[in-house]
Amino acid sequence: MQQSNTYIIIFSAIMTIVIGGLMSLTSVVLKPMQDKQVELDTKKKILGAVMDISAIKDPDEILAVYNKRVRSVVVDIDGNDIEIDGKGNPVVAEKVNIQKNYKVDPETRSYPVFMFMAENGEDVDSYIFPMFGAGLWDWISGYIALDKDLNTVRGIAFDHRQETPGLGARITEDEVQGRYVGKKLFSETGSFESINMVKGEGNTGLSQHEVDGLSGATMTAKGVNKMLEHYISCYDAFIAKRKPDNKITLNY
Amino acid sequence: MEAFNIALRGIFIDNMIFAYFLGMCSFLAVSKKVSTALGLGLAVIFVLSITVPVNWLLQEFILKEGALSWLGADFATIDLTFLQFIMFIAVIASMVQLVEMVIEKVSPALYGSLGIFLPLIAVNCAILGSSLFMVQRDYTIVEATSFGFGSGVGFFLAIVALAAIREKLKYSRVPNGLKGLGITMLITGLMGLAFKSFIGIAL
Amino acid sequence: MSNEAAVVEKVQEVVKAPAEPLLSKRRKKIVSDPLSEDNPITVQVLGICSALAVTVKMEPTLVMSVAVVFVIVFSNLIISLLRNTIPNRVRIIVQLAVIATLVTLVSEVLKAYYYDMFKVLSVFVGLIITNCIVMGRLEAYAMGNKPYDSILDGLGSGFGYAWIILTVAFFRELLGSGSIFDFKIFEAVGWYSFPNNGLMVDPVGAFMVLGILIWVQRTKTGYVEH
Repeated sequence: MQQSNTYIIIFSAIMTIVIGGLMSLTSVVLKPMQDKQVELDTKKKILGAVMDISAIKDPDEILAVYNKRVRSVVVDIDGNDIEIDGKGNPVVAEKVNIQKNYKVDPETRSYPVFMFMAENGEDVDSYIFPMFGAGLWDWISGYIALDKDLNTVRGIAFDHRQETPGLGARITEDEVQGRYVGKKLFSETGSFESINMVKGEGNTGLSQHEVDGLSGATMTAKGVNKMLEHYISCYDAFIAKRKPDNKITLNY
Repeated sequence: MEAFNIALRGIFIDNMIFAYFLGMCSFLAVSKKVSTALGLGLAVIFVLSITVPVNWLLQEFILKEGALSWLGADFATIDLTFLQFIMFIAVIASMVQLVEMVIEKVSPALYGSLGIFLPLIAVNCAILGSSLFMVQRDYTIVEATSFGFGSGVGFFLAIVALAAIREKLKYSRVPNGLKGLGITMLITGLMGLAFKSFIGIAL
Repeated sequence: MSNEAAVVEKVQEVVKAPAEPLLSKRRKKIVSDPLSEDNPITVQVLGICSALAVTVKMEPTLVMSVAVVFVIVFSNLIISLLRNTIPNRVRIIVQLAVIATLVTLVSEVLKAYYYDMFKVLSVFVGLIITNCIVMGRLEAYAMGNKPYDSILDGLGSGFGYAWIILTVAFFRELLGSGSIFDFKIFEAVGWYSFPNNGLMVDPVGAFMVLGILIWVQRTKTGYVEH
């Protein structure tokens, strides 16, 4: 059966309206829920660097803990606060897209800093910095939490797109991330000395700036080392400003 | 340089077939003879190199959150991401149609060899998949173009190589139940293993 | 696979209507054929694309199966209802539009209520659009048959697809990660030294498992490709 052009056009128009309407409706109805999920996902990752949140099952409770304990600022490469972006819109630390920022020149990036406050709500308990870099296959990212001396690692949480399962993908394991706890980012003289994941597994006699590696995942470890060094050096100015012990200054 | 790396990875490491299983349907159906495989492979390269950048423009200037800000400040908060699937598939289908018409007019000889594969490509997962990956990985326009091209070449390589193997396979004694699809899957697996040796190449 | 068919039939029996042969022999065949003799994956060679990439673990595979069954059944139903009004010249694009809308629905719902799974499945939810099974059933069946039959046909094809990818996922997760639905099965029975097979989590493992599965299934049904 061959229909007339008019019929086809009318039919297409009706289809377009029905389908468009249906999809917009779904989108509008589900949007708040989706935004909440994305927000929850980011906040979970941030909190994951300083505390064990796997015991908290209720999403609202996680958000409550976050809102109570975490303050955030966004700084530039010189450690100065940024409040509005280039277009004049306010900058929200949680909304800064680390992946997008990674692609632009380090000088012009926005660097979010999350501060985990002590129970009294006034003193900073630890600082959390996001990181982003390239692994073996695709991106790797993470959050590193430093004690208030801005030197000792409190905790670290890695994420990755598709490192090799069982090898590089082990960076997301608690045991591996635990290896970073207590390590130092600055030497005794105060100069920046990043933490390196060494080659091979089962190494002993590691210094304050080394963690045991993952067997079979040298490339991923290299990526992790590069990411850590790069991002901490980008936060250098901020760290220097906030350091409680002013005797330790950074060597540039 | 980065763009070149992306193309290289699309060809060897993130190969559409061996790493993501995309475009399997036509991969299996059209790999019986090298000559037809060549035709389909070329058509895929062609269509991918066009649709990925076009979809990039669509995503960047119409679909993503705040993409409409060039229309004025009022439009800055509009997020049309939910239209992504339908827009992409529509672009792909119409692009394929357009390419078909252009080729038919410009070069009837090329149309003779490529033409029959073009409609098939509209529903090839590798095409839509590449556009979706492009969005997910946040490529720039240059990177997106080279990614589209690289994915196409990767698909081309895979399908031509498989067709060559299957031509030789005719002279082998394959168990009855394994004939056709079964043995092809196993061969694809082995080819995937071979492609694993490209891991880590970069320029 | 006959178990699966039995389950489907049982479900169908519940909705038996009086006098009407709602479950006539012909209709039972519509559902059971795609489960084995005319399986969309192993026999018709359709829909392999989006299927295998998610089969590393059982859980995403199950979600994927549910999504695909949903899309096939509803697109079959909608197209079948509209089959006499769809202009022939634009029918492909109408079919694509219906599928894309349903897939968008699935994707939006997943994003809102099951965000972790949304991240795992990533682009593969979108790729249901180009899943040849869906298009194939619309073009070959729903365009020419009544709504109820089309639903049955969609169920049959959907479950035919589901049990194959679930089986592949079962072996890949069991051998590759030593678990089923993330439950460490070997550790539970006290076998701590079970060596995980890295090949199985790799795409290569999927090709191997599916190849062998096809061999077994075709040997059983006696189907030979020439």
